[in-house]
Amino acid sequence: MNIRIFIIFLAAFIATGAQAQHLEHRIQAGFNIGATAPVGLPNTIRKINSYRPEFCPSLGYELSWRPTKASEWGAAVGVKLDYKGMTTKDEVMYFHTMITMEDGSGKSEFEGAFTGKNKTTVRNAYVSFPISATYTPNDNWRLHLGGYMAWLFSANFYGNVSDGYIRNGSSLGEKVNVSEASFDFGTDMRRFDAGLQGGAERRVGKKLRVMGNLSWGLRPVFPSDFRGMDFPMYNIFVTLGVTYRI
Amino acid sequence: MSATETMLLANGFGPSLLVAGFRFKLPLHSAVMYIMTHIQSIRLLAACALTAIAMQACIKSEPPNPEADIESFTLPDSLLTGEVFIDQSNRKILLYLEPEAFDKGVAPVITTTKGAKVSPASGDSIFFTGGENVYTVTSASGENRKQYTVEVVSIGEWDWAFEKWLIHDKDKYQYVIEEDGGQVWSSGNPGVALSGVPKQPDGYPLRATADSESGTYAAELITLKGTVLSNLVGIKLFAGSLFLGNFDVSSAFLEPLKATQFGQPFTGKATRFTGYYKYAPGASYQDKEGNILPGVTDSCAIYAVLYTGRTRLDATNIHTSDRIIATAKLPDGSGRGHFTRFDIPFTYIPGRSATKEMMMAIVASSSKDGDQYRGAIGSRLVVDSLAIIQ
Repeated sequence: MNIRIFIIFLAAFIATGAQAQHLEHRIQAGFNIGATAPVGLPNTIRKINSYRPEFCPSLGYELSWRPTKASEWGAAVGVKLDYKGMTTKDEVMYFHTMITMEDGSGKSEFEGAFTGKNKTTVRNAYVSFPISATYTPNDNWRLHLGGYMAWLFSANFYGNVSDGYIRNGSSLGEKVNVSEASFDFGTDMRRFDAGLQGGAERRVGKKLRVMGNLSWGLRPVFPSDFRGMDFPMYNIFVTLGVTYRI
Repeated sequence: MSATETMLLANGFGPSLLVAGFRFKLPLHSAVMYIMTHIQSIRLLAACALTAIAMQACIKSEPPNPEADIESFTLPDSLLTGEVFIDQSNRKILLYLEPEAFDKGVAPVITTTKGAKVSPASGDSIFFTGGENVYTVTSASGENRKQYTVEVVSIGEWDWAFEKWLIHDKDKYQYVIEEDGGQVWSSGNPGVALSGVPKQPDGYPLRATADSESGTYAAELITLKGTVLSNLVGIKLFAGSLFLGNFDVSSAFLEPLKATQFGQPFTGKATRFTGYYKYAPGASYQDKEGNILPGVTDSCAIYAVLYTGRTRLDATNIHTSDRIIATAKLPDGSGRGHFTRFDIPFTYIPGRSATKEMMMAIVASSSKDGDQYRGAIGSRLVVDSLAIIQ
């Protein structure tokens, strides 16, 4: 539904742009570095032992428009293939979780509070559509700020817990020692993400620019009825890369 | 607006503000110009963004401990006939006392979760002549309370009709109690509860059945299919089990064979093990990986083991320990359509003799190799009127 409206909007934009004075087309390529994380760590996370970005390429096309070539202000829309991922190892305490799994024969559910080590790997692929206001003070620099919408088409959110214990039901439940148990929340993830994004580009060649862009998801990556983690998590990623005007 | 400001604006320096006599320029063009002259600024931008992420990733101070366990409950060995067992699933402290200790009361040394408070306090005397002894543990966080009931376990008559059953509050599995409310039998149900089975009595492999040999109820053991969650840890079936002893849920994941703590303190001379059972093996026997093995039929296991000492044997050593002095095993675990009586004499192992401290285990399982997660889903064993004849 949303995607259809967006495509209509994009088509209208391009159609309008055809009569406009100044259109630019760019190819963007880079890497996403960041985290799918809570904003403000809950106190149940005691220690981050390691963090490693996953291999997360970002590849896209951007169409930008300015009233005239000399105009400072303009607008841009784009379409990007964005991988967003990371691997973290951390230590948690009294961490509330509920794991629900279903197969043909029925549903099984476990709720409890875990204390111990956790390893989480996230690697999600999105098609995202950024929309920006652009500001081009001169030939060298270009700044932009706006929002994005993104559709998840490949989800990975998995990991394991180890070297600890889980309490059945809640912190008052009986303690069960855990050496290692895996989890996979990939299929629970929301398919739609939206947020703010903004960044800057600097010209380094005739058509080539380096860019840095921050995208900050405003929609939790898990639906509100998801109970695997009792706090919302957001996609917060920086894209570092280049753009090439075509 | 002063003339100077007007002039500044006209010169393209951007709007300015007069605050408390100081002039601040809104650095629109100038800031951009400044950044542009510094090539590393793009790095700065990225660094800012990463700092923003890092800043929100600050570790907060540790939450106050919400846990409220009694972790140990220690009495002098001389007062005990069997080791104290803290049943964390049912919040009970099970004591196996010498008669003298029962008459005079005891003063246990108690340890709790760090920071938690217990009442009555560690070292205080408790007596068994009045009402129930209940320990209340309050977590360091103050918000959580847990109550443990002290239960003195003594087996008067070594025969059981399995008439009184209770349902676990939270996980809704059934467990059998003595006529006086005491708890001497256990099962794998508390472990199965961790695997996300439906929280209802028939979601578990051990439950009461009205299909009894005598009285109203008997114990029904059914081998059930594992859950999606238990598959993750390689468990594809749960055999029904019923045994004299306790289930130590803390070992249920790590060392499940050690979770089943077999036996209750026993005195005297055991001569025969008697009871009634019926058994219907499930249709397809499967191995640990869940592969159907054609031509293999499931069988049940019913046995009693008498051993020395007061540390319980478990599924790793109940058949092999050199503390075993006598056994009575159902020789043939094949199907029986109707209640069938068994009367098996204890076989004493030559060279091993009874001591003052002994334990008697009785174990029944709907799949003989259920401890290895092999068996047939649907295998059904019903036992009733079990007895040790002295």
